Amino acid sequence: MKKEDTVKLISAEGFEFIIDKNAAMVSQTIRNMLTSPGGFAETEHREVTFPEISTPILEKICQYFYWSLQYASGKETEFYIEPELTLELMMAANYLHT
Amino acid sequence: MSIEASQGSLFLEELDRKWAEHNKALQMIRDILMYMDRTFIPSTHKTPVHELGLNLWRDNIVHTMKIQMRLKDTLLELVQRERGGEVINRGLMRNVVKMLMDLGSSVYQEDFEKPFLVVSADFYRGESQLFIECCDCGEYLKKAEKRLNEEIERVSHYLDAKSEVKITNVVEKEMIESQMNRLVHMENSGLINMLMDDKYEDLGRMYNLFRRVPNGLSLIRDVMTSHIREMGKQLVTDPERLKDPVDFVQRLLDVRDKHDKIINLAFNNDKMFQNALNSSFEYFINLNSRSPEFMSLFVDDKLRKGLKGVSEEDVEIVLDKVMMLFRYLQEKDIFEKYYKQHLAKRLLSNKSVSEDAERSLILKLKTECGYQFTSKLEGMFTDMKTSDDTMKGFYAAMGHELGDGPTLGVHVLTTGSWPTQSTTTCNLPSEILNVCCKFKAYYLGTHSGRRLTWQTNMGSADIKATFGRGQKHELNVSTYQMCVLMLFNNRDGLSYREIEQATEIPSLDLKRCLQSLACARGKNVLRKEPMSKDIGEDDTFFFNDKFASKFYKVKIGTVVAQKESEPEKQETRQKVEEDRKPQIEAAIVRIMKARRVLDHNNIVAEVTKQLQLRFLPNPVVIKKRIESLIEREFLERDKEDRKLYRYLA
Repeated sequence: MKKEDTVKLISAEGFEFIIDKNAAMVSQTIRNMLTSPGGFAETEHREVTFPEISTPILEKICQYFYWSLQYASGKETEFYIEPELTLELMMAANYLHT
Repeated sequence: MSIEASQGSLFLEELDRKWAEHNKALQMIRDILMYMDRTFIPSTHKTPVHELGLNLWRDNIVHTMKIQMRLKDTLLELVQRERGGEVINRGLMRNVVKMLMDLGSSVYQEDFEKPFLVVSADFYRGESQLFIECCDCGEYLKKAEKRLNEEIERVSHYLDAKSEVKITNVVEKEMIESQMNRLVHMENSGLINMLMDDKYEDLGRMYNLFRRVPNGLSLIRDVMTSHIREMGKQLVTDPERLKDPVDFVQRLLDVRDKHDKIINLAFNNDKMFQNALNSSFEYFINLNSRSPEFMSLFVDDKLRKGLKGVSEEDVEIVLDKVMMLFRYLQEKDIFEKYYKQHLAKRLLSNKSVSEDAERSLILKLKTECGYQFTSKLEGMFTDMKTSDDTMKGFYAAMGHELGDGPTLGVHVLTTGSWPTQSTTTCNLPSEILNVCCKFKAYYLGTHSGRRLTWQTNMGSADIKATFGRGQKHELNVSTYQMCVLMLFNNRDGLSYREIEQATEIPSLDLKRCLQSLACARGKNVLRKEPMSKDIGEDDTFFFNDKFASKFYKVKIGTVVAQKESEPEKQETRQKVEEDRKPQIEAAIVRIMKARRVLDHNNIVAEVTKQLQLRFLPNPVVIKKRIESLIEREFLERDKEDRKLYRYLA
């Protein structure tokens, strides 16, 4: 995979998730950050830091991005969410506009 | 501010640059405030960031006194300069116009579109005045089309797509609609001249432009219709034309072809125009009561000789065209009458070029008018076939008895199928009479209960003659002519009265046949005294010893189908009128049988409808037929309402 097609997402604890740009753009917020003509740092370095989102949640979110891409292509599968993550995940989803 | 301060043409460029900067900044601000935009603004009903930025730009820049007027004037001036042929910076125009559109459609409309349309209307009004004074119709249309295309192109380059309809409307209204009448009726170059000169391109342009405005096409149609009618009327009523029926029909066909082509090439095959063409033809063809006769003569001419060496498809095309004209005829039964006569002559004298063509025409008539119309015509063909068989049978059975006598060919014709003739038989020469009697005996022997009468006025004969210096010729003549010639076997000179007595040919026919025998140049088998063009009752005829011809076979003026003389025409018309009576009666009875009770007007309408495939019945005649039916107790008048008729079964 080319480097230009990836994005680095950094959690509150500093863990780095490198995922497809396409997958990250499932989130409307991340999409705006990466495509804004304003020349923001995020666009330049393809790095987004989320000081409000913890590592397990961000991991779940990345899983969701891929699942969502797959789901959009027509395959129907279940996306399992552990009950203890639900609340935080919902807050993150609201922020990321997914 | 720098925009206000910028000079001349730099004004737009400066505006554009500032707008681009503002836009970029606005987007950055929006992205930074994205989360607020999404969560806070909808819940508190505040204006979103981006919109707020646009509003600020609108109120503080575009709508400030100095800039608003200047912007509008600059844009309009640029458009005007482009119309004048100058090259302008279209990219810049597009950006600025797009800015206005981004600020909201109302900004675009108020600040640019409305004044743009007003200015355009003024411009085109002036231009159309200018053009109409100095250009002919074709040129004007070319210019109008060019302008229209320019405007459409302009819209696609730098205006809002929605403006296209509006600006083209302006051009149409000012350049076409207001000058429409003047264009169409323009002298020497208007619609009529275009039609006459086959200017397909100009006509096509006119069609495409006029189609855009209300009433445009109907104006073209009306003018075209009246033009065709006028022309057709002249054609069918011109006494010169009536002299040559074939030419007459050919001209009609040409006119139709011409306009068909125009409609096809220039008017996009528009149904409206086709209908107009059809109705005009229907109108003027029926102006001349001899049209059916002439059409039959035309077909006759084509089937006799016109189609030699022409491929089968071309024959079909010609016939199809004739059928097209036929469709316009109101009095189809008259056509049938003449066609029957001409067909009979063709069949009996073996003049038809192609039986296939004959049959195909009959088939066309059948599909057009139904079985009834052609059954008799088909009967004629069957008669010809059975006659051939009969003759074969006759010679097989009797051949040895006949020996060297003249060969006889008989067509047995069914009465009713063939056009009825007055049966004045002439005296046949004894040699012929002998064979005829034998045939009669044979025929009545095989088919009992029939009656044979000889139609001597329709036959033909080939006779061999030896002339003064011993040269032999075969003469192809009619039966009457043969009878006359046979008299000269015994004598060299006979007076008119002697011939008349000996043959008993009706005097009109006798005169005709003597004329063709004695007066035709190069075919004068007889010599007449005194020498003159016409046959008098006191003339004397001699066998022409000095007759000479290059050919062995000499064809002597057989009676070719010709235009009928005035009394014959009257007679045919009367016969047709006579034939129509039972048809009208039958229609009335059919209708009344179904309806039982009906008032007068409705009967007339229904009868007309039923019979219009064949002819157009006259209401007066229908009334007479109803009265006749009442007399014969098919119908009765209602006792209370005298207008109602009742069917009596």
